[in-house]
Amino acid sequence: MLLYALKRLIQGLITVWFIATATFLAMHAVPGDPLSGAKAMTPEIRKNLEAKYGLDKPVSQQYLIYMGNLAHGDLGISFTQKNREVNDIIREHFPVSATLGIMAVVFAGLGGTLFGALTALYRNKWPDTVIMIAVILGISVPSFVFAAFAQLAMVKINGAIGFSLLPVAGWGSVSHIIMPSLVLGLGTMAYLTRLMRSSMLEIISSDYIRTANAKGLPPTRIFMKHEMRNAVMPVVTVLGPAIAAITTGSFVVELVFAIPGLGRYFVQAVQQLDYTVIMGTTVFFGAFLVLMVILVDLLYGFIDPRVRVS
Amino acid sequence: MADQPASVSSLPDPALQMGAFESMQSELRVQTLTRPSLSYWQDAWQRLKANKRAILSLYIIIAMLLFTVFGPLVWRVDPAEQDLLQVSSAPGAERSAIIVAPYSAWDALEAPQIADAQDADAAAPASVPVNITDLQLAETATTQQVRLEWQPMAGAADYAVYRNLVEPTGPGTFGLPLGTTGSKETRRYEDLLDLRPGPLYYSVVAMDALGHELPQSKTLRVNVANAITLDEAADRQLIKPGETRELGSQVNFALHPMGTDYLGRDMLALLMQGARVSLFIGIAAPMLFVLFGIVYGSMAGFIGGRTDQLMMRFADFVVALPFLLFMILFKIAFGIGPGESGIIPLIVAMVVLLWPATARLVRGQILQVREEAYVNAARLLGAKTGYLVLRHMIPNTMGVILVTLTFAIPSAIFTEAFLSFIGMGVAAPTASWGSMSNDGIKSMVTHPHELFFPALMISITVLAFNLLGDGLRDALDAKMRSRE
Amino acid sequence: MTQNTSVTDEPPLLEVKDLKVEFDTYGGSVQAVRGVSFSVEEGKTLAIVGESGCGKSVTVQTLMGLVPMPPGRLKSGTATLRGRNILGTSQIDGQDFRGSEIGMIFQDPMTSLNPTMTIGRQIAEPLEVHRGWSHKKAFSRAIELLEMARIPEAEQRAKQYPFEFSGGMLQRAMIAMAIACEPAILIADEPTTALDVTIQAQVLDLMGDLQQDHGTAIILITHDLGVVARMADEVAVMYAGQIVERGSVDDIFYRSAHPYTVGLRAAMPSNDPSARRSLIPIEGSPPDLFSPPTGCAYAARCPYAMKICSTSEPPPFVVGQDHFGKCWLHHEEVAGGWEKILSGAPTLLTGAKMARASSPLAENKS
Repeated sequence: MLLYALKRLIQGLITVWFIATATFLAMHAVPGDPLSGAKAMTPEIRKNLEAKYGLDKPVSQQYLIYMGNLAHGDLGISFTQKNREVNDIIREHFPVSATLGIMAVVFAGLGGTLFGALTALYRNKWPDTVIMIAVILGISVPSFVFAAFAQLAMVKINGAIGFSLLPVAGWGSVSHIIMPSLVLGLGTMAYLTRLMRSSMLEIISSDYIRTANAKGLPPTRIFMKHEMRNAVMPVVTVLGPAIAAITTGSFVVELVFAIPGLGRYFVQAVQQLDYTVIMGTTVFFGAFLVLMVILVDLLYGFIDPRVRVS
Repeated sequence: MADQPASVSSLPDPALQMGAFESMQSELRVQTLTRPSLSYWQDAWQRLKANKRAILSLYIIIAMLLFTVFGPLVWRVDPAEQDLLQVSSAPGAERSAIIVAPYSAWDALEAPQIADAQDADAAAPASVPVNITDLQLAETATTQQVRLEWQPMAGAADYAVYRNLVEPTGPGTFGLPLGTTGSKETRRYEDLLDLRPGPLYYSVVAMDALGHELPQSKTLRVNVANAITLDEAADRQLIKPGETRELGSQVNFALHPMGTDYLGRDMLALLMQGARVSLFIGIAAPMLFVLFGIVYGSMAGFIGGRTDQLMMRFADFVVALPFLLFMILFKIAFGIGPGESGIIPLIVAMVVLLWPATARLVRGQILQVREEAYVNAARLLGAKTGYLVLRHMIPNTMGVILVTLTFAIPSAIFTEAFLSFIGMGVAAPTASWGSMSNDGIKSMVTHPHELFFPALMISITVLAFNLLGDGLRDALDAKMRSRE
Repeated sequence: MTQNTSVTDEPPLLEVKDLKVEFDTYGGSVQAVRGVSFSVEEGKTLAIVGESGCGKSVTVQTLMGLVPMPPGRLKSGTATLRGRNILGTSQIDGQDFRGSEIGMIFQDPMTSLNPTMTIGRQIAEPLEVHRGWSHKKAFSRAIELLEMARIPEAEQRAKQYPFEFSGGMLQRAMIAMAIACEPAILIADEPTTALDVTIQAQVLDLMGDLQQDHGTAIILITHDLGVVARMADEVAVMYAGQIVERGSVDDIFYRSAHPYTVGLRAAMPSNDPSARRSLIPIEGSPPDLFSPPTGCAYAARCPYAMKICSTSEPPPFVVGQDHFGKCWLHHEEVAGGWEKILSGAPTLLTGAKMARASSPLAENKS
């Protein structure tokens, strides 16, 4: 198991290297090489950049400098803001995104498992129909539409009841987290519900559930100890991609709800063409997602004895 | 049986007839199987036809394609044309307009009104109204101007005028403050501010000399009509050339069945244009990356060995790239020159990033099918590689590929919408459903139709492709056929 | 079993009467079980034989309440365990009889055990549920049971997961689990079909030994007449949802009273080298159970079919002690009917004899 974890970690590091290289290449493929082209830079920033990225040197040298900085955990400095390091930006904005993301993942995971199990147990009865219609909507309606309508609905609700039930936008208190994380987790929850439902249906009709029934086990025990445990397995395997989906979804949600997270900052950086911040955040997000996938894999190993033992 | 044992001798059976125990003719015994044999695709099509949701989705998709391709031929409105008379108008908004004279200043505002005011002040306290009275329209309210006048009240030094879309219920709910008359003598007000057809509630509030509002107020409900001058109507071809129309007569504005956007562009025409962009990206990109994935995956699968290992490891790396971030990165890298729509960079970025899933799938299928007993059997019977590919490999991977493609389309449409929404998709003035949603969200509260229609189009299309994909998956899954 | 032998007032251990089960499908309702009656006595083995889809599994799964309803539907019938009804309920006196009074093992041991729970825990579960034993006590009993099932290093094995077991070991673990609460009846639904031939014998021997030690009655579902010859006391031959012949194992092998039984025997390979012959398949296929034929279900495939066979269903003709066959050839008006039936498989007698002789178990019992 430890060896497996180590192996995964090394694989992850190689993947991060690949991501960083791809990012570097993509940025240097920009027509006119904006890093050296220097459009909207003050001389001060320019000097900093030159020192940092070795802009006067050939691309291969620049690459080595860039990778060297990365190896030290230094993601670079801002292209448009003076004396602003990407590390600082991440330190400042990432906790907000992480809080939002964790809440959304928890919400999506719990909701998906619960609703999925429910639909399978009430197959072809009304709870199944209602939830599956909601799931189809959740999969087919873009997240920004949900975000917009949730915001609009909350404006109306707050207006109708005369006080602020939940804040419509912003960040700072627990109540600020609720609506954005619900909206953010919704699409993933719909997907997980579907997955859980098919997984549960497969398990309900499996041979070992028949065995459990033949043993005369009470239904609650069969549900808890035999069905849930096995049905939740495929849900865990897709948690990695789910976290990725939620992370990217956070761009929109942070934008709509005016949350000062890394996603919103990234979108701003993109709009201002702050190339170094784009590069730094991309590598950071990439590394973060790789780490998450590894963690989910290890978690899966703990749940599934077939993986754990072998 | 056990409870009613029959004895051989005492069996009364009405069914016994003469000759019952004669041997039966052999032709009576043969049972035939009536189920006709179907080819893989025939069978799949029959299963799909039985799936009502999938067939309905197929119709929706066909309708959507017809809308995209033939819609602009039927609805010949230029999506770029701005109808400034109807900006952000909701579908079904009032279209009739009154022809009015060109705007001229309201003379009455300048006219001395002191005499009236003095009269009011001079009159006995009993006869002076304690509230504003006779709040009325000085002339017909149109989108050109709304002119109000009222009778003064005692003790008012100034009057504030408010406007609201809903009926006020008391102080504090009068809505938008338009301004004050500036003196107690003036008891007329002219509103020129961004007028729209429909009901408006004007409130006049009396103020004291210090500028504080008094509790006395009066509210008037005004129905504002569209207004257009004769010249403008002629310009916009709302009246026939040479035709003369009297002032006050009615004309109809251009029809916008789904309203207009914030620039006064026709929503229906825009949606058709957006459909072309969204569906083109949504269909072209998946087709290309699926095709690339098939080539890459089948090559890896056929060659096998070390090459296969290397190729697949590279695919693993590409999968690990954070997809949307790299979409954005590539968009920046490929750059959008002036006057370009940004559609091609979007498609290229999708192809570069999304092929590995199909490649993995196809490789897996090829490896699996290659080892199947029936392929070995065919090979033993002397089948050539070409025959194997045509007869076994393709039919057995086509289903999976088709399903992948069907599911890739909605996710590509989603991706385009998402990128356009955060401003990284197609560039203005090219409209896609995503960029229309992005525009619409800004005025979501006041003009929800600008967000609702493009969002609805995205949702319906994605829904239809998803349901069709589900149906296809069930229909093409050969393993499912033996079940039931 | 039949009333002829029920000399005492005591009801048989398990008695099933006129069981009819249907399945609703989109194509109509399938009459999977069409009036099945049988009984099982303590310590005896009843084999239910028939080809795939004849309703033998549905019959026992209905008894165990394992048939999902819907789409399944119980049309009629009663089943009593020691005189108490078990049909349509899984409870006797508020307690689940499944696992405690009747244990069951299934065809495919690889899929019949929960992949994410240790073998020991799965064996301990019925003890915890039915006897209220503690986790620990049940688990140590599970180890003993595994030892009884001849699993080496039972203590370590109990902590392992199903994927670490071989198929034969899993089936023995399944048996250990089924008999954990010492049930009066063990239902074995094709217990050896998915196993290698060498392992089949081990599993059958284990079942036989446990039966001797505990006096458990066994209902053995199989399509393998070799297994029947080795294990069974009584045999019920099922065809198209009905029992077409019922008798002792000797009756079935030496005095077959139904052409289908003869056909089955002719289709069975013999392990007697002196009786070299080719296998004789039964031509045609079983009738469509969406609309079963009005007459004898076997008529279309029967070489001796008569006109009456396609018009009216034969009653069970009693042809001997506890032996009946549902075939019109036994009617008094048909001369030499039984001889006709038996003429179908002359050489098989030796095959059956050999199979029985090779099993010391069978000798002990008979």
